[in-house]
Amino acid sequence: MKIALMGNPNVGKSTVFNALTGSNQQVGNWAGKTVERKSGLIQRANQEIELVDLPGTYSLTAYSQEEIITREYILREKPDVIMAMVDASNIERNLYLVLQILELAPRVVIGLNMMDLAQTAGITIQTAELALALKVPVVEIVAAKGKGIEEFLTEAIRVGTLKQDPLPGEVSYPEELEQRIQAMEDLLVDTPWATKYPLRWLALKRLERDPEIGQEWKTIPTKSRKSTDKDSCCDPGDAINYELQKTTVLPGEALLQAYEAEGWSKDHFEMAFADAKYKYISQILPKFRAHENPSKPTWTDLLDRWVLSPIWGYPIMFAVLAVVFWGSFVASAPIGGAVSQGMAWAANVVVRLLQWGRVPDFVQSLVRDGIFAGVGAVLAFVPQIAIFFAFFSFMQDSGYLARAAFLGDRFMQLMGLHGKSFFSLVSGFGCNVPGIMATRTLEDPKDRLITMLINPLIPCVPRLGVMSAVVAAFFPGSRGSVVMLSLLLLSMILVMFSALFFRRVVKQTERSAFVMELPLYHIPTLRNVLLPTWQKTYSFLRRAWTFILVASIVVWALSSYPQGVPMNATWAGKMGGWLSFIGGPLGFDWRIMVAIVFGFTAKETTLSTLGILYGVAADASQSIAQAMTGAMTPLRAYTFLVVYMLYIPCLASVVTTYKESGSLGWTSFGVAYNLILSFIMGWLVFHGGLALGFQ
Amino acid sequence: MERFLGDLKPGERACVEQIEGGGALRRRMMDMGIVPGVELEVVRRAPWGGPLQVRLKGYYLAMRRGECAKIKVSEIYQEQIEHPLASR
Ligand SMILES: Nc1nc2c(ncn2[C@@H]2O[C@H](COP(=O)(O)OP(=O)(O)O)[C@@H](O)[C@H]2O)c(=O)[nH]1
Repeated sequence: MKIALMGNPNVGKSTVFNALTGSNQQVGNWAGKTVERKSGLIQRANQEIELVDLPGTYSLTAYSQEEIITREYILREKPDVIMAMVDASNIERNLYLVLQILELAPRVVIGLNMMDLAQTAGITIQTAELALALKVPVVEIVAAKGKGIEEFLTEAIRVGTLKQDPLPGEVSYPEELEQRIQAMEDLLVDTPWATKYPLRWLALKRLERDPEIGQEWKTIPTKSRKSTDKDSCCDPGDAINYELQKTTVLPGEALLQAYEAEGWSKDHFEMAFADAKYKYISQILPKFRAHENPSKPTWTDLLDRWVLSPIWGYPIMFAVLAVVFWGSFVASAPIGGAVSQGMAWAANVVVRLLQWGRVPDFVQSLVRDGIFAGVGAVLAFVPQIAIFFAFFSFMQDSGYLARAAFLGDRFMQLMGLHGKSFFSLVSGFGCNVPGIMATRTLEDPKDRLITMLINPLIPCVPRLGVMSAVVAAFFPGSRGSVVMLSLLLLSMILVMFSALFFRRVVKQTERSAFVMELPLYHIPTLRNVLLPTWQKTYSFLRRAWTFILVASIVVWALSSYPQGVPMNATWAGKMGGWLSFIGGPLGFDWRIMVAIVFGFTAKETTLSTLGILYGVAADASQSIAQAMTGAMTPLRAYTFLVVYMLYIPCLASVVTTYKESGSLGWTSFGVAYNLILSFIMGWLVFHGGLALGFQ
Repeated sequence: MERFLGDLKPGERACVEQIEGGGALRRRMMDMGIVPGVELEVVRRAPWGGPLQVRLKGYYLAMRRGECAKIKVSEIYQEQIEHPLASR
């Protein structure tokens, strides 16, 4: 049996889904979309049930990716039952979606969630009356406490095994609409479509001139999932692809034109249908809902007075972000260190085994200096990413993330971006990988792409570390902070400029509306925070490890062949030499170019590369930077800093951009843009500096 | 005098009369519950021309000022006039 979970965003769908499927989940993307697809198998009453968590939506029109996915899933995959989740504390708007679901699929069970919240807000709901009004079974749940979830599923299974489709209640449309709907129904009733879709829904969509009806789609299963993939978690594959077979024009064209002449265009119909649904809800609402004392301030009101206050809002946000950054990028340092040490220890053990087995030297070196060193450098960041995701899930579930978007929106507006881009960009200061992944909260795919592409221009913690070591060596004292500030300012300006530039390249004509819900505050459950954290970290590792492994081996090979020669004679050294035609105009010698080339895998290694190139034995960053002062003028160092700050952060970020955007073209575009921008800026700074007489 | 949602001060309430403009914006607002006849309250405005926080039917929305300027509102205590559906 196939069961789909549906509902508005933030109704507690994931909580129910996680409780029912536990760790038996498959997480991937919807075919051809960048929206997460979660499904899980459960066993109940000798039946295997496939539970699919559809993306949270406010409606079933086809205006956002989430809506399209949800609608296509219901139309094409025809789940046996729909579990429609409703937020009891916000039932009026939630029922709008439920009415749309009821028009599309007859087998629906309503899960009335957040009963605890509704109670504290003084809302009482007569479940039986609600069930009667809509003619649909209703189950009360408190998902966060695990109450009612099993009953919800049992009811869904019962509805799924009914012999005949139940007859859910219908929206009563006003007379002038009803007549027109029925006229359309009469035209459609004898067509083959009427056997595939509910007649009323078909007529409504025909009046709205919806392009989807009349299209026939064939499903092509891409692969049999169970046999090819034993890994139950985090399956990245697309489950099913669709192929358009043919498009037919449904009857009723003449009628539509007649209506248009009367002033009933498709937009009018759309508006009128939506309006009628809301009116219908407010008609039936008093039958089952009572709200005592609606003007009494809720918890959310009281918290928002501080959190969104014009005076306190920003300091509070600053404090929250400080905690997130400290927790993910500072406090996690010992764990990262332990991972590095563990890798070094493992490398030693393996190398000793290899020595014992008399394996040739170059294999030993490959294992120790190539694989373990390269992969270890990336693994050391995994704890940071994981802790960051935990904070991220917490902020998203609690409702704070939307508040941060509210407060940050003004700045994002300057760049032509959405308030939700704010958090992704701020996260970039910690690490660009989670920053890029955090763009998932953006609904508009183009906003998302733009945010993803500008994220690498924001210097992450490891880059800032290298930069501050170099700055401290070249610009001692207070000059250092001025230099550092100027660099950060430059990055800000370029982020803004690039956002505006990308908007033209991406061809985003219709800007998405900034109408965002500020959900009531919730206390997230531990499982809801930890499960996504694990899934995201695991899927990051799964995606990235092959790339990182290959890159580590390539870098190792380039830098150690031909064997036994000094570094400038190795292939990598020669590459630096060839590239000096790019570096020359910027005043870079071959060593800097080599360091830049090597920085592609992971930029924080740049200092140690430079240390080797300048022949500094010590590992400490200060002494390496000090050695550089002998070989470079401050102006050249500044130019290096600019280029270093702006070119692509690391291989992991490129892989993440590719996986999140799903487009090789845009990923290459982003990489090329970063490289070209960084060198142009470097050239401008160097020659500008020379012209102004700096050295 | 015509008033728009963007003109309301924090704490003021009003009734949605009409949403100007069309397409995706209007559709999005309808999905979020902003339809003619609904009662709104501006809770606060973010500083420096940032978005507005609006309460309706017990939930909250954030909307930019540009979008609020497209929502025509009327006094609440006025008797509600039923508009013919097709004229919207
Ligand atoms: N008070 C309360 N909170 C809940 C309930 N169900 C879920 N939540 C919380 O609501 C938030 C959103 O839930 P989530 O499952 O992520 O919603 P989704 O966006 O629909 O997947 C989380 O912080 C949950 O812990 C409930 O019945 N009562």
